[in-house]
Amino acid sequence: MGARTDKWRSGIKQIIIIIMDDQGCPRCKTTKYRNPSLKLMVNVCGHTLCESCVEMLFVRGSGNCVQCNTPLRKSNFRVQLFEDPAIDKEVEIRKKVLKIYNKREFDFYTLKEYNDYLEQVEDIVFNLTNNIDVERTKQMMEQYQRDNKDIIQRNKAKLTREQEELEELLLQEQQGSEQRRLETLQEEQRQLQAKRKNKQALLDELEISKLPAAVLLAQHKDRASQLETQIEKQKQNVKPANIFSTGIMMGQTVSLASVSRVEEVLYVYQPLCIDTYGPPVPELDQLGRLGYLNHVRTASPQDQAGGYTSGLACHRAVQDAFSGLFPS
Amino acid sequence: FRLNIEGLLVYFPYDYIYPEQYSYMLELKRTLDAKGHGVLEMPSGTGKTISLLSLIVAYQKVVEELRKLMDYYAKQTGVKNDFLALALSSRKNLCIHPEVSSLRFGKEVDGKCHSLTASYIRAQHHSNPSQPVCQFFEEFDAVGRQVPIPPGIYNLDDLKDFGRRKGWCPYFLARYAILHANIVVYSYHYLLDPKIADLVSKELAKKSVVVFDEAHNIDNVCIDSMSVNITRRTLDRCQTNVETLQNTISRIKETDAAKLREEYRRLVEGLKEANVARETDIYLSNPVLPDEILQEAVPGSIRTAEHFVGFIKRFLEYLKARLRIHHVVQESAPQFLKDIYEKVCIDRKPLRFCAERLRSLLRTLEIADIADFSAITLISHFATLVSTYSKGFTIIIEPFEDRTPTIANPVLHFSCMDPSIAIKPVFGRFQSVIITSGTLSPLDIYPRILDFRPVTMASFTMTLARTCLCPLIVGRGNDQVAMTSKFETREDFAVIRNYGNLLLEMSAIVPDGIVAFFTSYIYMENIVASWYEQGILENIQRNKLIFIETQDAAETSMALEKYQEACENGRGAILLSVARGKVSEGIDFVHHFGRAVIMFGVPYVYTQSRILKARLEYLRDQFQIRENDFLTFDAMRHAAQCVGRAIRGKTDYGLMIFADKRYARADKRGKLPRWIQEHLTDGSLNLTIDETVQLSKHFLRQMAQPFRREDQLGLSLLTLEQLQSEDMLQKIAQIAQQA
Repeated sequence: MGARTDKWRSGIKQIIIIIMDDQGCPRCKTTKYRNPSLKLMVNVCGHTLCESCVEMLFVRGSGNCVQCNTPLRKSNFRVQLFEDPAIDKEVEIRKKVLKIYNKREFDFYTLKEYNDYLEQVEDIVFNLTNNIDVERTKQMMEQYQRDNKDIIQRNKAKLTREQEELEELLLQEQQGSEQRRLETLQEEQRQLQAKRKNKQALLDELEISKLPAAVLLAQHKDRASQLETQIEKQKQNVKPANIFSTGIMMGQTVSLASVSRVEEVLYVYQPLCIDTYGPPVPELDQLGRLGYLNHVRTASPQDQAGGYTSGLACHRAVQDAFSGLFPS
Repeated sequence: FRLNIEGLLVYFPYDYIYPEQYSYMLELKRTLDAKGHGVLEMPSGTGKTISLLSLIVAYQKVVEELRKLMDYYAKQTGVKNDFLALALSSRKNLCIHPEVSSLRFGKEVDGKCHSLTASYIRAQHHSNPSQPVCQFFEEFDAVGRQVPIPPGIYNLDDLKDFGRRKGWCPYFLARYAILHANIVVYSYHYLLDPKIADLVSKELAKKSVVVFDEAHNIDNVCIDSMSVNITRRTLDRCQTNVETLQNTISRIKETDAAKLREEYRRLVEGLKEANVARETDIYLSNPVLPDEILQEAVPGSIRTAEHFVGFIKRFLEYLKARLRIHHVVQESAPQFLKDIYEKVCIDRKPLRFCAERLRSLLRTLEIADIADFSAITLISHFATLVSTYSKGFTIIIEPFEDRTPTIANPVLHFSCMDPSIAIKPVFGRFQSVIITSGTLSPLDIYPRILDFRPVTMASFTMTLARTCLCPLIVGRGNDQVAMTSKFETREDFAVIRNYGNLLLEMSAIVPDGIVAFFTSYIYMENIVASWYEQGILENIQRNKLIFIETQDAAETSMALEKYQEACENGRGAILLSVARGKVSEGIDFVHHFGRAVIMFGVPYVYTQSRILKARLEYLRDQFQIRENDFLTFDAMRHAAQCVGRAIRGKTDYGLMIFADKRYARADKRGKLPRWIQEHLTDGSLNLTIDETVQLSKHFLRQMAQPFRREDQLGLSLLTLEQLQSEDMLQKIAQIAQQA
């Protein structure tokens, strides 16, 4: 008797567990078990309702939550993705917060600052999800949004560095599989062609050659086996389409944080001083006055068209002549 | 006696030596001299392990001597060797605490031990003596560290005896003694599994020589150590773990908030824990992480305890949602990471720190009974692995098992496809790594799949005074129907009948024990069932008793015991077992326990498994190993492993019957170990059952003649003088075949 009661009890317990385990609508008490097509919805407050209850209660487009009385809009209902509706709520909030708090690692000078920032974001999400200081937190968020308008706008389209890496990896994967597919396709075709050719050759030989058929067949067999081993892979590179010629990924962002300034002494020009070991060479414009130019050929108009003056050649000749006159 | 191997003095404990042992030591020495890795194959039963140990012991001494610049010979001829060798095993096998050691499962023992030896428990014990602690550990901690363990050779029982005598905990003693030991013997996992290797094998010196003995399965061990399987049950248990964590956190916050603040401060500063001091606490080690990550501070989003728990919760719910599927999904790690970011906003970086962070939290919360937290630990390992490795891993989510497609039982396999990932630290860290086993053919595939460059690769044959092994490939029945376990014909009536006839005929002529291997349990069941219907089983039982290996370990060991009894008393018996099963891997059938091994079919793996498919694809893309090559290689190493069970030495003899016509093909035959291939002549290929019986009868009659040591001497067994003769040395040089 006792054993039977125990058995019965444990059976009941199991059923209860099944029911408890199964998700259901808190209002109409329908469960997934009874209605497999049941769709549960979650709103911003994190409480569930089934689809039909939502339709019924929110005919006018808005209303209050059955459980917590928060005013809700029908358009904000989402299909529940997770078993725990609180997670649905948190993810919803998190996405919203991350839209505003979208600073990236390179917006900070040190890793520590970035980590502090991350923790701050986490705090905000935590507060909003668990209804702690909601008003104050919201104010804080608004304040932040006003203060950092530019950065938010700028970072909107950017991915974090890690996401970029991920995208790159995914791309590589895709390209790799595509390349492999092409390769195998080509390979197959090549093999098919080679085999066909071989067969044709055998037929031709059988027709023309005077050798006995058995020999020819053996030859053919030999060739066929050779062919199989011979087939080699020729790798063909599929050029990726979304890489700039510099090798930088398209859409990749480069850090815009100002480069920290390097403090050092500025460059000062110092005129060149050459020791020629000779008498001082007269300046270019003084050559005529000193009479040097009388001894050289005057420049014809054709020469001057190109910017040549007789002074130039003379000056260089004088420099050459003077340098090294005084032995040191 | 003493041997001189290229200038190195080796002490060999037996009076006689096999030529191949000498050759083996020669190769081994060259490997060690070159400070590189080696792959060596030598037939089982030819004294592989003793050669290995002799040489390495000799080597270590030389190294030691050179360093100390002390007289080598004086010490050797002195009284005793100051040598320490010990075996290491888990707490379960080494615990001597009366309560703890009575627990049945390793996990329970570990948890209980931890709850008695953790540093904070011991701290509490100081203030509150009623808090129970393990007196053996206390004793060891108090005195055991200062007093070194006396030199000698310790196996597990010796360690336990020693521990009992001194009142020290043998487990921690052994772990501590590793640092001083000259030779440590332990399971692969202590070196390969990143979760354990970090705490056990971290301190081993770079110059250590690592030897993987019986390493034919090393790639699978590597892969297993890096793979994670997550079921719905794991997630449910993890859920409870999370709730416990949450409760503990809120309780601690009320009572002892300083502790959490302290942890937080530490994490902010990115300090690595001072883990040397508290060896009992380092229980949940992290999988291999790149060093630069370990140096970095934990990211801000999971710094505080609450945030971390929230993070784990999200991750858990995400996994739950992923497991609620109706069709199979296969994706790569980057795809998974991308999806997780889109669904629950989890970045890659905090995921990477998950295992580390959980470890820290569990320690801070002082949760003593860590055994319960295995689920959450597993999940955190998964998180860390999936975010660390973008290549070489695949994620497969299956909504049900292949065999029961109607029962929902979702599993997430995070499967490692590249054995080189797990073994890479080993190759990188140690100067010489030797991989050796009886069946490593084809030798060149191991360096490829494990991604390393060996300096020596050699396969040794068995020098025999008489051909004591007789491999035969049976391809046809007496009715000329081809015998094969190929998928298309395995249900064929004629094939099953022919297999039955083969076993029947053999049972009539082979004395004592026969071991028969099938390709899988299901196949064995089918065949045995139809043999029963056809009356073949009844006929066989007139000659010998039949025992069957099952998936149940207790049943199998019972069957084995009775099988041996039947062989012992002359009744003769047949053991039907399965390749890749327990019998095929670990049990030797010496002498009359196995006079014949019959391998029914080629033991290919179950090729429809998605994990295997993914791995094959990976091998093809990364290592240019074709699917078929790998499958054949895998099948042949298992086949060789099975038939090798019967020959365990030179005085032993046995038939090796491969009952599948596919074995006769060059690609299969070429993958058998050299010591089997050598005896496989054209005359023993593609036989019918009749021919097989004739050959076997002849072979068995020959082998049954008396065989004495004198017959072997000078051929396959050498004394020192014989070894030193010139022409013998030349012969020996031919034994090793460089691959």
